[in-house]
Amino acid sequence: MAAVTDPIAAAPRRRADSHRGLVFILLAPVLAFFVVFNTIPLLWLLGLSFHNFSLTSGMPPEFVGFQNYYQLWLGRNNFWGDLSRTFTFVAVGVTIQTLLGVGLGLLFWGSRTMPGRRIALTLLFAPMVLTPVATGTFFRFIYDPNFGVLNQMIQGLGLPMVDFLGSPATAYWAVLAVDCWMWTPFMILMTLAALGSVPKAELEAAEIDRLPFRKRFTLVILHHGKFILMLGILLRVIDSFKTLDLIIPMTKGGPGQQTRLVAVELNKQAFESFNMGFSSAYAVYLLLVSIAMTSVFIFVLNLRRRRGS
Amino acid sequence: MRRSLYHAVLWLVALIWFAPVAWIILSAFKTREDILATPPKLLFTPTLQNFRDLFTTNASFVVQFANSVVLSLVSVVIAVAISFLAAYAFSRFKPKGTDFLMFLLLSVRMLPGPAVILPIYLMYAAFGWKDNHVALVLFYAMFSVPFSVWILKGFLDGVSIRYDETGRVNGGSWFHVIFRVVLPQVKPGLIAAFIFNLIFVWNEFLFNFVIGGVQTQNIPYALAVGTYSDGGLNWTFIATMTTIYILPPILAIYAFQKYLLVGMTFGTVRGEV
Repeated sequence: MAAVTDPIAAAPRRRADSHRGLVFILLAPVLAFFVVFNTIPLLWLLGLSFHNFSLTSGMPPEFVGFQNYYQLWLGRNNFWGDLSRTFTFVAVGVTIQTLLGVGLGLLFWGSRTMPGRRIALTLLFAPMVLTPVATGTFFRFIYDPNFGVLNQMIQGLGLPMVDFLGSPATAYWAVLAVDCWMWTPFMILMTLAALGSVPKAELEAAEIDRLPFRKRFTLVILHHGKFILMLGILLRVIDSFKTLDLIIPMTKGGPGQQTRLVAVELNKQAFESFNMGFSSAYAVYLLLVSIAMTSVFIFVLNLRRRRGS
Repeated sequence: MRRSLYHAVLWLVALIWFAPVAWIILSAFKTREDILATPPKLLFTPTLQNFRDLFTTNASFVVQFANSVVLSLVSVVIAVAISFLAAYAFSRFKPKGTDFLMFLLLSVRMLPGPAVILPIYLMYAAFGWKDNHVALVLFYAMFSVPFSVWILKGFLDGVSIRYDETGRVNGGSWFHVIFRVVLPQVKPGLIAAFIFNLIFVWNEFLFNFVIGGVQTQNIPYALAVGTYSDGGLNWTFIATMTTIYILPPILAIYAFQKYLLVGMTFGTVRGEV
């Protein structure tokens, strides 16, 4: 059905063959970039992951087979600890962002006629385009136990001072809070997009039928908006799995290992300790995770394409 | 009445969300004593001294700022240009392996930064390309390609192939069809791809830190390694620099709010907020 109405989908494959030269010219620059900056480095990475290679030792790479993978699997450098911390970070963070984002998105739903709407939305969406390093640095200032504004407020309420980023009990949650502050606006954005995809007629019908809000939400809004919301959640999952910029200026993974997420540890292993072989194996594990997540993302995307429109 | 109350609530939410940013911006106008004052000062006599100091006493700031501008502009222009060509080929001719390549492109963007840059670092170190503007621009361009291809392919799929066919039948060259007939119709996609990659490279620190150096250092790199800590952090300096640095992205999302959604979702979701 779609093939008949959609001229692009109907374009036969032989088009590519009859314009082989043109297709090649069009694709050549991107392919060249891709091979030089992606394929070759990736193979390099893969090869290196089977070697024992440290840049500081000055020794040539030594082939060790699967030893790096095996050691990580056995939990060298607390690999599983980093992974579970990261998954908790993703799960808790994305859940909070989704709940807050959907709630605030619904609140902002009827704001079309609001005076100064564009400015208000700019202020609301600003956190997600800030430089993460700058944000992290400045939050260190806000969280500071001595002169940070947050502690001043807490002490104003008569509560004891808290060293948010320095104490093992609070550091993780303090970092997570900043992540939520930065990325809840993204889920608001996605919620507004999802709400925009709900047909007006159905909403009016639900209004006339006097459906209670809860039913309207599950039957009408979620029914139409769930794909966009799902894409939003997936994008957040993938992105927060990579969290690094924010943590470096705030805690550098400390205190202890409290805020050491996978990206932070890999960064340290590769560019502070220069354990290149070990880091490569680490990176290959992460590559498998991100390939899995990308597959899910594209699967959901195709689901929407097939059902939507 | 209810309506204005509702709007007041929305404004309040937006302002609360913006408060930490406002705190940074306010701090930039404070003296060193005011910034570290306890309790924090909400009312103070604003001073422009910090901004004057920034440009006069710190020569490296200007260089780093210029690096940020040059690196992001040049690399994104290259990336969007070549991505448009590739997206056109993907959308119109669907060569074998299109889906697979689109998948590979995306998975690069889904990988944690250190994993991406590790082999590049070794490659750059081996060839002596580190701390070189051209090498860094090329890498950033490569990193901006996946995003741009995804956005632009989405937009190109939405332009009917009849335009191309009409153009060709009437004797237009491929060059004419691609750049004169099709390109103007995907302008929103080009803008979205451009702005979002620009903001990304502008804010990027890790790649600059790992494969860059003193000459190519941008502001986030300088901030991350604590260039501005003369025994404890120099907060007035950081607040001032941060204020200047975060202003362009915020202005960009004000000016290009229509494209926010397209950009933030790799073009997989379209529409306006």
